[in-house]
Amino acid sequence: MKQLILSWALFLSKSKRYREIKETVRDILKNPNNPYKKSFDIFIIFLIVTSVLILIYEVKNPLPEWLDNYDIYFVSFVFLVEYMLRLWIHTDFSKRIVDEYHDAQFLHAEFELWPVIKDGLKEKFHYMITPSAIIDLLAIFPAYRPLRVLRIFVLFRVLKLLRYTKSIHQFVEVLVNKRFELLTLLFLLIFIVVTAGIAIYVLEAHVNPKIETLFDSIYWALITISTVGYGDISPVTDLGRTISMLIIVSGIAMISFATSVIVSAFSERLSELKENRIIEQINKSRSFLIICGYGQMAKMFFRQKNERIENYIILDKDPKRVEQAHKDGYQAIVEDASRFETLSKFNVEHSNITVLCLTGSDIENIYITLNAKSISRKIRVIARVNNMNIVSKFEYAGADHLLMPNQVANTMIRTAITQPTMYKAIHAILTGKSVARIDEIHVHERHSMIDKSIAELDFKASKLLLIGIERNGEFLFNPLPTERIQSYDILLLMGRQISLDYYSEIHEGGHR
Amino acid sequence: MTSQSILLFGYGSHGRFIARGLHEDGFKIKIVESKQAYYDQAREDGYIDVEYVDVTSDNILQLLNPQNFSQLVCVMEDEHLNVFLTLSLRSLFKESYILSISDSMHTTKKLKMAGADKVIDLYEVSANKIYNILRRPVATKILEGIVMERGGVVFREILVHENSFLQDVMTDDLDLAPYGILLIGMIDEEMGHTFVFITTGINHRIDAGDTLVCMGPQNKLNMFEKMLQKEKDL
Repeated sequence: MKQLILSWALFLSKSKRYREIKETVRDILKNPNNPYKKSFDIFIIFLIVTSVLILIYEVKNPLPEWLDNYDIYFVSFVFLVEYMLRLWIHTDFSKRIVDEYHDAQFLHAEFELWPVIKDGLKEKFHYMITPSAIIDLLAIFPAYRPLRVLRIFVLFRVLKLLRYTKSIHQFVEVLVNKRFELLTLLFLLIFIVVTAGIAIYVLEAHVNPKIETLFDSIYWALITISTVGYGDISPVTDLGRTISMLIIVSGIAMISFATSVIVSAFSERLSELKENRIIEQINKSRSFLIICGYGQMAKMFFRQKNERIENYIILDKDPKRVEQAHKDGYQAIVEDASRFETLSKFNVEHSNITVLCLTGSDIENIYITLNAKSISRKIRVIARVNNMNIVSKFEYAGADHLLMPNQVANTMIRTAITQPTMYKAIHAILTGKSVARIDEIHVHERHSMIDKSIAELDFKASKLLLIGIERNGEFLFNPLPTERIQSYDILLLMGRQISLDYYSEIHEGGHR
Repeated sequence: MTSQSILLFGYGSHGRFIARGLHEDGFKIKIVESKQAYYDQAREDGYIDVEYVDVTSDNILQLLNPQNFSQLVCVMEDEHLNVFLTLSLRSLFKESYILSISDSMHTTKKLKMAGADKVIDLYEVSANKIYNILRRPVATKILEGIVMERGGVVFREILVHENSFLQDVMTDDLDLAPYGILLIGMIDEEMGHTFVFITTGINHRIDAGDTLVCMGPQNKLNMFEKMLQKEKDL
């Protein structure tokens, strides 16, 4: 038996396929950035909503058999599978056994199976008693028909929505954060209700025909203190009325206290909730910019007139600057980009991210560069360097492009003085202010240009000038007409925007 | 290239770099500084024509004879002083070509109002660069290489002289490929000294006195120029 379990665990831990499947399932169930998660969520929400609608419908109407079957078998089955999957992905049971086994081998100790299994099961059990797991489990119960009461458990399916709707989740989170205040309030409420209930019971139980049991009096106390006051039970003696007055006053105080606690909790978290929304929004796009620091440079960057910059987010530590950015009409949040948590919130796996470090301090820029690169090498970093002496440090930190405002400006001035025509030409091309622009055509694998010679492509007829080709990092200037285009070439063309657009449009797409 | 003379105001972080670059390109420069430390630095770096004066005084500025210089470059460290200097120079010397550097967008506006012919905005050029890195990484890299390194592929202005074979050729028919260079644009004197890109779709007739702007490897350009020179001498 022991040998069997052990070999089974070893087999699973070695199987790449098993791991892959588990990872995929985990990603779909847990990673909000997974593209399939959305479809999965919609499917589950659909099941929940239909299930609840069926519950309501069947109260007064007979249910057609297929609908009943759908509700009992299909919905419950899906929920059961989901529950099992969640339990499965929560911990790696087999890995645990294997690890323990290897440790035992290493120490030449006897391998004990039961403690490991016990620990593993304990972990699974810990998951099972989390509120969301309990809700999931209860949501499966209505499938058991003999017990009619279980039908009401369909409502637990509604609670499952908690997992799938972000706003409710955030609401609960806010309340959980204030649990100390709310618990204090709850205890106070219980104390007053119970005291008042007992008092009224003692004073009126034999006078007032409506108060029969202690339950009646506590019910009365709660209805009164909450200022609902159905009036089905009311005190008849002077003493009873005095108690009523007292608990009404304390009830008002308590309600206002509860309201203020909840309101303040929300107003504290409101900006954070908003910021999370912005981040979620931006995470959906396939490529975006993270701009760190909203200073002169960032402002200038946004003032580039030629095209609008889309899919960006500004991070700045200083709330004042963020406010300024909001006033200027940009998406900004108060975050410290040098913190690991901040950048790891972004969808690093599925999006192309470019980080612009534009803060005024070199130290901070380096830190952000390192931070971004430590999260993923895939993140492209363009960093601003103020002090030219530390360029090598930025390169060491892994910045993809460096931007040296002083140097750029100095070179510009020098060029403007020494080669005015060239300055004009380059400046015009780079700023896109002139009619002529330089643009790139990236030749992908299925591009129709591939294998054609430059003479065949006839750029001149399209009023374009081929300046050169970048191939494997090398630049071929003014290639010969016989040169053939290869895949992954980057063509550098000069011409008017419309010619460039037109040209790349007709040559886009697959082989003809 | 004719050797121009430049009057450089300021020898701070920008001035120092510019002075070195201009010196390398064979320009005659005169440096003016109003701060002792920078003045000493300039001296130490080996510049002989350095003046230590108070640039806020009109009389002193007049004594410098800026009209004898082809360009006045204002790159003082203190941006307030830079604006003031630009304004003084403009009011004193209406004809001079003034180039200023700006550290912020507010200053850019002020410098333009003060009468600078060209203002280079530190942030604008940088912001532009970010944008270009994002949109056209290869083009940016190549153009940058052209500007920064001055080796390999460069731009060159080539004057078309009388009786050149280039004369009366239409730009569309001109093929410089055999020479290994590209015609990027030209400065057409008929159209009032404006720079025209070759790809705008307008066919130009090249006249004597026009300037062709070509791009190509340095040696190929030299050969082309030599060839034109020979043709002229013949």
